[in-house]
Amino acid sequence: MNKYILILPFIFYSSLVGASANPELQTVLIDLNNKASLQRGAKIFMNNCFGCHSLKYQRYVKFIDHLSLDQETIETNLIFTTDRNGKPTKIGSLMLNAVNPDHSKESFGITPPDLTLIARSRGPDWLYTFLMSFYQDESRPFGVNNKLYPNISMPHVLWWMEGIKKPINSDLSEFEYVKKGNMTEIEYKQSTTDLVNFLTYVSEPAQLDRYRIGFWVMIFLVIFSFVAFLLKIEYWKDID
Amino acid sequence: MNRLMAWIDERLPVSNFVKNHLSQYYAPKNFNFFYYFGALAIFIFILQIVTGIFLTINYKPDAAQAFASVEYIMRDVEWGWLIRYMHSTGASFFFIIIYLHMFRAMMYGSYKNPRELLWIFGMLIFVLLMAEAFMGYLLPWGQMSYWGAQVIISLFGAIPFIGESLALWIRGDYVISDATLNRFFAFHVIALPLLLFALIYLHLAALHTTGSNNPDGIEIKEHKDENGIPLDGIPFHPYYTVKDVFGLSFFLIIFAFIVFFLPELGGYFLEKDNFVPANPLKTPEHIVPVWYFTPFYAILRAIPDKFGGVLAMGLAIFVLFLLPWIDRCSVKSMRYRSRIYKILLTFFAISFVGLGYIGMNPVTPILTWIGRLFTLIYFGFFIALYFISPKEKTKKVPDRVTTHE
Amino acid sequence: MTESKKPSNRRKFLTHLTQVLGGVGGVFSIIPFLKTMSPSSRAKAAGAPIEIDISNLQPGSYKVVEWRGKPVWIVRRTQNMIDKTLEDNNQLSDPKSLEEHQPNYTKNKFRSINPEYLVLLGVCTHLGCSPLYKPNAKSKELGLDWKGGFFCPCHGSKFDLSGRVHKGMPAPYNLEVPPYYFVSETKIIVGENGDNV
Repeated sequence: MNKYILILPFIFYSSLVGASANPELQTVLIDLNNKASLQRGAKIFMNNCFGCHSLKYQRYVKFIDHLSLDQETIETNLIFTTDRNGKPTKIGSLMLNAVNPDHSKESFGITPPDLTLIARSRGPDWLYTFLMSFYQDESRPFGVNNKLYPNISMPHVLWWMEGIKKPINSDLSEFEYVKKGNMTEIEYKQSTTDLVNFLTYVSEPAQLDRYRIGFWVMIFLVIFSFVAFLLKIEYWKDID
Repeated sequence: MNRLMAWIDERLPVSNFVKNHLSQYYAPKNFNFFYYFGALAIFIFILQIVTGIFLTINYKPDAAQAFASVEYIMRDVEWGWLIRYMHSTGASFFFIIIYLHMFRAMMYGSYKNPRELLWIFGMLIFVLLMAEAFMGYLLPWGQMSYWGAQVIISLFGAIPFIGESLALWIRGDYVISDATLNRFFAFHVIALPLLLFALIYLHLAALHTTGSNNPDGIEIKEHKDENGIPLDGIPFHPYYTVKDVFGLSFFLIIFAFIVFFLPELGGYFLEKDNFVPANPLKTPEHIVPVWYFTPFYAILRAIPDKFGGVLAMGLAIFVLFLLPWIDRCSVKSMRYRSRIYKILLTFFAISFVGLGYIGMNPVTPILTWIGRLFTLIYFGFFIALYFISPKEKTKKVPDRVTTHE
Repeated sequence: MTESKKPSNRRKFLTHLTQVLGGVGGVFSIIPFLKTMSPSSRAKAAGAPIEIDISNLQPGSYKVVEWRGKPVWIVRRTQNMIDKTLEDNNQLSDPKSLEEHQPNYTKNKFRSINPEYLVLLGVCTHLGCSPLYKPNAKSKELGLDWKGGFFCPCHGSKFDLSGRVHKGMPAPYNLEVPPYYFVSETKIIVGENGDNV
């Protein structure tokens, strides 16, 4: 009886694991099976982010299987760089950009980080909230600040989609838009979701495979365990 | 087939080995749930070696290439992601299994005469395993790899007189660097696995010399039939081979679930900060060792003095070696021991898990005091045990094993 | 202890079922470990087809480009050289290229899509040295009956102007023709077959 008391610390423990989610973050719905969303996210990233942020562990060619795109579409719409000889970057290449780290350090004070793994180190909710948290701040070099990452060196690249909002109170809980973007609020939220969806895929392409394969592995193991259990009791009938 | 076996047996005693250690090796028939963990530990050891070999095929132990080579394995190497996740999940499960395996010994007195050496070998395996895991964790060269190693090695620096030189010697450099990474790779891949293999062999040899203990703490060899076979013994093969097959498959359900659906386990098995490449100029907000080290890390932090903390942490592990001599009760299993022993053991378990929780979290005044309390309980267990164990009011130990229906 | 009796049918059945399922599981578990050793995306990217510009290639000369770590030759044959390849040549071991060392679309005497441009892997089929280009007939070192072609200095294997191996050479086969196609008149892609295959 006493050894069952030992379960109590684990129950206590596990409830705290769940409670560790940051209450400040907005939640985003990630769906890596939504290929259309991933494709839109890829487009947004290549058109707006890739100029400064590389994806140096990801290859273009993976988009064929993972984003259901064909080679020509990828080469035409997503590859903008060339190699040293001026030839277009080949589809099997890693997604490196043309940023010179010394120049960017001078311009921004920091080299824009590679974003291949950002969704694993920060989490999708953080990324989504981050993209939603830019607001006008004339005291900053680019005229914007970010509630989730104060005094960040990054401009609000997607301002043309969202517009620019100004805080109306000092604790940054309410805003009003001073510049309109091309999109409505719902459209911007969808685009941001697409972008975060894409980055979540890039941070771990294996996700697409492991859920699918894992399902069958579990089925097999449950069946095998059942048979192994029957075998065990059959043999153990011998024992009194 | 029989002729082939006869030919082999003339040159290598295979059939005798199978008889002596499997089909005519007698184990107590009343093994319970806690007796799965030894076999599972062997399985996990083999899994770590095999997945480790395949990782070594593509991993680059160079500070400039290590992190990228892990991502290369995860993305560009076929099935690399699966091998990586099996290895990282396997490391954490190795410790879950070992802690439960050790706790079994504490419940049933499996470290007592004549199994003291078995326990010592097991403790040596535990210490080597911690070193192996610690060095393995540096290899991905992420932020947590780097800074975790930095903190722990600087603890060696706290040792008076020899500390600084010792830390310098371990690192091979003034700070954790490529030199450190390379030597940790060599130790992790070959040196420690060889030592572990040798110690596991000795552990099993010692086990087969005395035979297993059991949940009732009875020596089954004390009651044998006319053929010399223990009355409460059953041949390991087929009964425990068949039972362990089931145990393994059930374990694999849990293991596979984590590997395929939750490999990071909320940041406990794969820490979020480790997806950022090591940056010697930027310290992460919270440096925490991996979960399986946190109980000992909490003990370290509980002592306000740096060297004192290192001593306490070392003592917390060393005192476990001494258990066979600290626990002087003649009754092995807690089933027949005093109420106070059961209470002490419960407190010990709660303190260990509590210390683990505290070790995972940043320092706060409340957690510091609770950590100190739990540290006192942890050591208090051994001190109390030493004094109460010779005079415990034990129940009558039965002659033959009891099997709960 | 139980007396040893013949195992029941149920026991035999369950044992066999467990063994079979375990074997199936085992095979499926081994597959990733075997497959993981095949070329990675990085290897495939490095070994991807290459584009070669032949606009500056003079008649009679050749160009060397690397593909999958091996030299690829593009030789621009003169009319004289093309005529020579059409002649009957009893020096050759496999004049009709019956052995499989070229794609179907180059199974002719020129061993090429376009007679003017010869594309070959510059790797001797004996032990892998890279042969020398010896287009001129009747050379001092190669003899009066030398009609032009390639000569491997390592063990003396001789090949004609289409890369076909002479009789009695250490090299057993004609030089290999890689898959290739013309994107345009001045550009060749080496490493994959074109659409007209």
